[in-house]
Amino acid sequence: MSISHRRSFVIAAALATALALPSVPSAQGLPPGEYKIGFMTENTGPIASAGVSFWNGAQLAIDEVKSRAYMGKGTSIVLQTKESGSEAARSIQNMNQFIADRSILAVTCCILSPVVGSVKPVVLEAKMPLVIYGATAVGLPSPPWVYSMTILPGPKDIETGLTVASEIKAKTAAYILANDNEAFRNRLNDTRTALEAKGVRTAGVVNVLTKDTDFTAAATQAMGLKPDVIFIYATQSAAVGAVNSLRDRGFKQTIVGNDVLAPETVFKRMGQTAVGVPFPVSFSSALAESAEGKAFIAAYEARFKSTPDIYSAQGYQAIWFIAQGLKSISGTPTRASLAEALSKITSFEHNVYGGEIMKNGQAQTTGTLIVNWSPDGKLVRWTAPKN
Amino acid sequence: MQVLLDFWAAYRSTVAFAIVNAFFALSTYAVLGAGILSFATVAFAAIGGFLGAQIALSLGLGVFWLVPVTALAGLASGYLVAAIFLRLDSHWMALASLALILITRVVVINLPSVTGGVNGMSVPSSVTLWMLVLMLALIALVFYQINNSWYGIAATAVREDPAVASTLGISPRKIQMIAFCISGAVGSVGGMLLAMVLKFVSPDTYFIHLAFTMIAAVVLGGSYHWAGAIIGAAVFTALPIAAQAVIPQFEHVANGIVLLLIMIFMPRGLIDPRAIRLRRQARASRGTLS
Amino acid sequence: MSLFLEQLINGIALGSLYALFGLGFGLVFSTLGILNAAHGCYASWAAIAAFYFAQWFQLPFVAAVAVGIGAGGLLALLVDRIAFQPLRDRGHEMLGALITSIAFWIILDNLAGLATGQQSLTFPRGTYPNHLFRIGDIPVSAMQLITIVSMIVVTVGLHLLIARSRFGSAMRAVGWNPNAAALSGVDPARTMVVIAFLAGATSGFAGVLGGVMTANVSYSLGESLMLKGFAAVVVGGYNDVRGTALAGVALGILEVMTSQYLSSGLRDGITYALLLGFLLLRPRGLFGSAGYSRA
Repeated sequence: MSISHRRSFVIAAALATALALPSVPSAQGLPPGEYKIGFMTENTGPIASAGVSFWNGAQLAIDEVKSRAYMGKGTSIVLQTKESGSEAARSIQNMNQFIADRSILAVTCCILSPVVGSVKPVVLEAKMPLVIYGATAVGLPSPPWVYSMTILPGPKDIETGLTVASEIKAKTAAYILANDNEAFRNRLNDTRTALEAKGVRTAGVVNVLTKDTDFTAAATQAMGLKPDVIFIYATQSAAVGAVNSLRDRGFKQTIVGNDVLAPETVFKRMGQTAVGVPFPVSFSSALAESAEGKAFIAAYEARFKSTPDIYSAQGYQAIWFIAQGLKSISGTPTRASLAEALSKITSFEHNVYGGEIMKNGQAQTTGTLIVNWSPDGKLVRWTAPKN
Repeated sequence: MQVLLDFWAAYRSTVAFAIVNAFFALSTYAVLGAGILSFATVAFAAIGGFLGAQIALSLGLGVFWLVPVTALAGLASGYLVAAIFLRLDSHWMALASLALILITRVVVINLPSVTGGVNGMSVPSSVTLWMLVLMLALIALVFYQINNSWYGIAATAVREDPAVASTLGISPRKIQMIAFCISGAVGSVGGMLLAMVLKFVSPDTYFIHLAFTMIAAVVLGGSYHWAGAIIGAAVFTALPIAAQAVIPQFEHVANGIVLLLIMIFMPRGLIDPRAIRLRRQARASRGTLS
Repeated sequence: MSLFLEQLINGIALGSLYALFGLGFGLVFSTLGILNAAHGCYASWAAIAAFYFAQWFQLPFVAAVAVGIGAGGLLALLVDRIAFQPLRDRGHEMLGALITSIAFWIILDNLAGLATGQQSLTFPRGTYPNHLFRIGDIPVSAMQLITIVSMIVVTVGLHLLIARSRFGSAMRAVGWNPNAAALSGVDPARTMVVIAFLAGATSGFAGVLGGVMTANVSYSLGESLMLKGFAAVVVGGYNDVRGTALAGVALGILEVMTSQYLSSGLRDGITYALLLGFLLLRPRGLFGSAGYSRA
């Protein structure tokens, strides 16, 4: 071949290769690098103990996503944190600061309703994807921009109420309700309707307030109704107080609690009075059966020297949810492309519940685990007392 | 340039909150300037906030309608509070206004159809930062005029010594009633603005922490001049944000410590007309000597 | 009927707690004319101190309570020296004292939050008497009995101190006019120190008992006691300890009965309405003496 021929051959070959390259499927996915997510912590303020749980779970997830190169080689998520102290005004200001930072692709936040209520319009207007890790209000998700990782407690309450009532053959039920909490009011009404339909008479509802500290009067009132079983629908402090007062005044029958009794700190507070009070959990370190669940528990305990609870699990899953979304994006992600990717997720590749799906922006698990604290501080499956 | 724009976007809500707090501080100052310590501003704010939210929700009216409506409601409330509470002397007045805040919250929780009850309600809002700045400028103008009117001088007289004031023909009662009406109107508008900025109201929006911020703002800025209230509000809004950057655990404590230090070392506040006047006189006399 | 009696006893026990706190608060208010917004914090911190000392040193119940009382008194003393004394030296003005006390409220409350890790702590079972006595059909817990008895003892003690002892006269004199009191041979500084300590100790006592009884050791303990204790002082008459005690108990009974027979939503509302009503219509309270004013 002459020199000019060889040169044109080389040029032609180069051109052909260049033209051929784009048709190779872009399995390139997410480019290597750090991807920033805004994380609004609630580590100070009235529910700090729960807030820290969420935060710990999230940190663990960050490490795992990075070390497993889940989203691709050399990729990781980096969290930019701001503390809200559970205050609406500060949360808005923090959110605006996150939004103003162009490198932040999505934000996570919120446990209390006033906080999430203030923040949601802000992210919707600014078109920033928001993943809620803790608020238990119903109807928060707004795909493609707002998602909730909270495993809603309502349906589990009903299941628990029906199961317990039938196992102990209860005929009348009394309820202690934190009347100033609409979420609990709704949960109580749903359970009550279901129980009444099964023939369990409602002896009465005793109202307390979430900020109450003395429950002797309420306990006396509830016991005065002479029920076979007492259901507690209140936030953690009030629920603990109510159970303590009931047992102190000699109530020996079954008391049914709710998911607020699940964290380890509750057993530390209540000691033996907590034993035997059934409640539903969506995640329990003592009873996790899936391999991923067990691995999560082991890793969490090794790192934080305490057992993870449902809050830790939700914080953990919030990050994994975002990671799953990012993974499916080719090329540099934007807020809009991430929102779209998140809206397409229907089931979680990696979850600690043994099965988690995403329906209309709300995370859900199937099945209800009814547990109670054992005398040595472990969560065990609840069985009806024998007598 | 981009850096500046980003900084602005990040902190504009802080500026918005500072302006809203300025309204509350001014409302407190209005009565303090006539010699009364009252926390009733929080109740006025609640009235303005929930009224404004309901009107915005059901009638869809914009901010320019809401301002006069809430101002009037506030004025009426101020008048009512004055009529009932003014017979008490200062000790009891402060306590009664505190009790008023507590009762307001109970009422808010027990009227869910109007106030959204315990869980609060969303507020449709179209207020922009420039509207807020405009309103602050207007209210500052109003206070400037008031200060330089006969009312302003009469109020100062009543504050300093009610007995002497009445010998001069000023009725302390009348002045204090006017003070409460102004306080009510300003506080109500402030409450409405807070609802617009937060886009959400709940029973805890207008409660004791608001009372403390207002008092602290007025005391810091200087309880002897209206401009002090505005400056104090700005400082106390920015303080938690600044403290958060440094030591997150202690930011609320920082507010308390600053308030304590002011009360011990600078009880008349930053903007103190008397101190300014004295300094000016000292400078003038030094000038003539040299 | 037995339900009514049971709730009555609950009300008396709860009211005794309010009364005990109110006694401390009223002491400072009536003798020194200081409205101390931070007074509730003394109760919270007394409970926190008692909790931690009981935990670290395995103290029996009585010792833990003593620690709490001491802590409350010391804290009150500290706040008085830092906050109120400089104002007194400068020509005391009530507004200034109130605002300074608000500053301390913010500081102490938030520090209490940090001290308890933002949670409410519970005294572990076994660190306090837990028997359930029965009077006929009606259960009465040991803690309830202790609270009621303590309140009676403290009320009687304080009343005797203020009305019948020389020190009591000194207290009242200093409250009225420190200079005149000094002229009569009373040492105002020392008297005020004792008053501050007593007030803090009494409220601290209420704090520890309340923390145990309601299983809630946190900053919110002090806040709730403060509001109710303050109402007790206003309704009962702030310069008569017997009035405060009676009013506190009455408020406790009223609260419990309202919850049982009316609605718990109104419960706090009734207390505040009473408070406001008395402030407006009869500020000296049920048993206070008229014409008690500070110039």
